Amino acid sequence: MEKGPANPEVKEKVLAYLDTVEKAKSKEIAAKIGVPKGDVDLAVKELAMEDKVEYLYITTTFVALKGKVKPPQ
Amino acid sequence: MPDKKTPKLDELEHGPWPSFVTEIKKAAIRNESAKDLLNLLERSYDDKRGHWKHGGIVGVRGYGGGVIGRYTDLPEEYPHVAEFHTMRINAPSAWFYKTETLRTLCDIWEKHGSGLTNVHGSTGDLIFLGMKTEELQKTYDELSDAGFDLGGSGSCLRSPSCCVGPARCESACYDTLALCYDLTNSYQDELHRPMWPYKFKFKMSGCANDCVAAIARADCSIIGTWRDSIQVDQDQVKAYAESGLDIQGMVCDKCPTRALKYDHEKKELHVIAEDCSRCMHCINVMPKAVRPGKEKGATILLGGKSTIVQSAFLSWVIVPFMKMEPPYTEFKEMVARIWDWWDENGKTRERLGELIYRLGMTKFLREVGLPPVPQMVFRPRANPYVFWPQDEIVK
Repeated sequence: MEKGPANPEVKEKVLAYLDTVEKAKSKEIAAKIGVPKGDVDLAVKELAMEDKVEYLYITTTFVALKGKVKPPQ
Repeated sequence: MPDKKTPKLDELEHGPWPSFVTEIKKAAIRNESAKDLLNLLERSYDDKRGHWKHGGIVGVRGYGGGVIGRYTDLPEEYPHVAEFHTMRINAPSAWFYKTETLRTLCDIWEKHGSGLTNVHGSTGDLIFLGMKTEELQKTYDELSDAGFDLGGSGSCLRSPSCCVGPARCESACYDTLALCYDLTNSYQDELHRPMWPYKFKFKMSGCANDCVAAIARADCSIIGTWRDSIQVDQDQVKAYAESGLDIQGMVCDKCPTRALKYDHEKKELHVIAEDCSRCMHCINVMPKAVRPGKEKGATILLGGKSTIVQSAFLSWVIVPFMKMEPPYTEFKEMVARIWDWWDENGKTRERLGELIYRLGMTKFLREVGLPPVPQMVFRPRANPYVFWPQDEIVK
C-alpha cells in the first residue's frame, strides 16, 4: 500500500539508535525512540534504499547499520 | 563431473525416475560450484551431518527478503560453495510461464549462478540455487530488466500463491489468479521489507479441494466456496446412474454431513442445503451433474503453519463467506487489522496462529473486530468455541 515518504527526523532517530546496538527489530526501535512502528518501518525502508541500513536474518529479520554486522567467517 | 568419487550419491541415480544427483552432475560439467556441491553432499553422507549454515546479511539494495544466505562450514575444502546463496523469484499467479520466459530466466541463471533451480520450491517461488554474494545484485538487476522481482523471505509477507483457478478449472468459486496478482502488487512493502514478528503467507484455492494446500500451509487461506445451495442437473444424474455409478454408495453415503438423498426409482439427487458443508465430494464424483452454487465467494481462514514455536496447525475458519471481487476492500481492511494486532502482540518468531493460540480466539476476535460465528471450529467437526465473557453473564 502507498504510505508516502518517511519523516526525516524519524530516520535520524533510527540511525542514532542503531548506532548504539548491533541489530534490532523495528518494533524494538519504535519503542526505544518513542514513535509509531509504522513510521519506523517507513524510515527503515528509505534508509535501506539509501544504503545506510541493511536487513539481517538470524532466525528472524533484524535491521542493522550498513556494514556493522560482518558475514559469517 | 566431480573430481572425487561419490559412491553414496551414485546409488541415488539407480532406478527409472529422474535423479537430483544426475541433474547436479550435469551442472557440474560446466560449473565448479555444482561440482563442490556434489562432493560436499557425499561428505555429508559420510559424516552423517549437514555442512551448511544459513542466514546473515545477504541481499540486494533496498530489499530485506528474497535472498537466503547459505554457506558451507568447510569453506577451505569446498571453496566454490563457501557462499552458495538461494534467490527466490516471485512467480506469476498459478505459475504460468511462456517457454520463452523460462529460457530468459535460465539464461540469467546460467550466467550468474550454479545453473541449478527448483521449479518451484516449496515456498511457491522459482528458486535459483547457489550463487556468490558478488553476483546477487547483478542477477537481480537482470531479473528486474526482464520484468521479474524477488519473492519473500525472512519476517515479511511471503510470496502469495494460488491454484490455477478459473484459468483451467471449472470448480473455481472466485478468480484466484486476479486476487494473487492484486495482493502481490498491493503489498510490495510487506513483501520486500521484513517488519513483522515472523513470516506471513497468503494462499488462495478456488474451491474446497484446496489444490495448493492452503489450509495447512498459509497464515491466511482464502478458499473458494458458495453461499447458496449446490446446483444439480437431474438429466446428468440419470446419465451417471445409467452409466453404472453407484450414486448412493459413492456419493450419498460418503457425504460427510449426509446432506444428499438419492431417489433410486426416479434416479434423482436432492440436497438438504442447510446440512451441506460444501466439501466438494459430490462435485468431484459427479462433476457434470453437481456444480457449486451461484452465489460464490470465499471462506477466510487463519493460522495454518508448520511446526516452529508450536506444533503444526491447520487454519481456523474466521469468515465463513466473503465476496472476493476487486478491489477486495473488505478483505484488505480486515487483513490490515489482523496484521496490526499480530505486530502489536506477537513475540519474535511467533506466527499469527500461535499468537491466537496463546492469547485466545476471544481476545483476537474482539480486538480485530470480527464477530464469533458457529463455523469457527477448533478442528473439523469438533469443539465449537463458546465464549462466556464474565461481564455478560447474568448472575
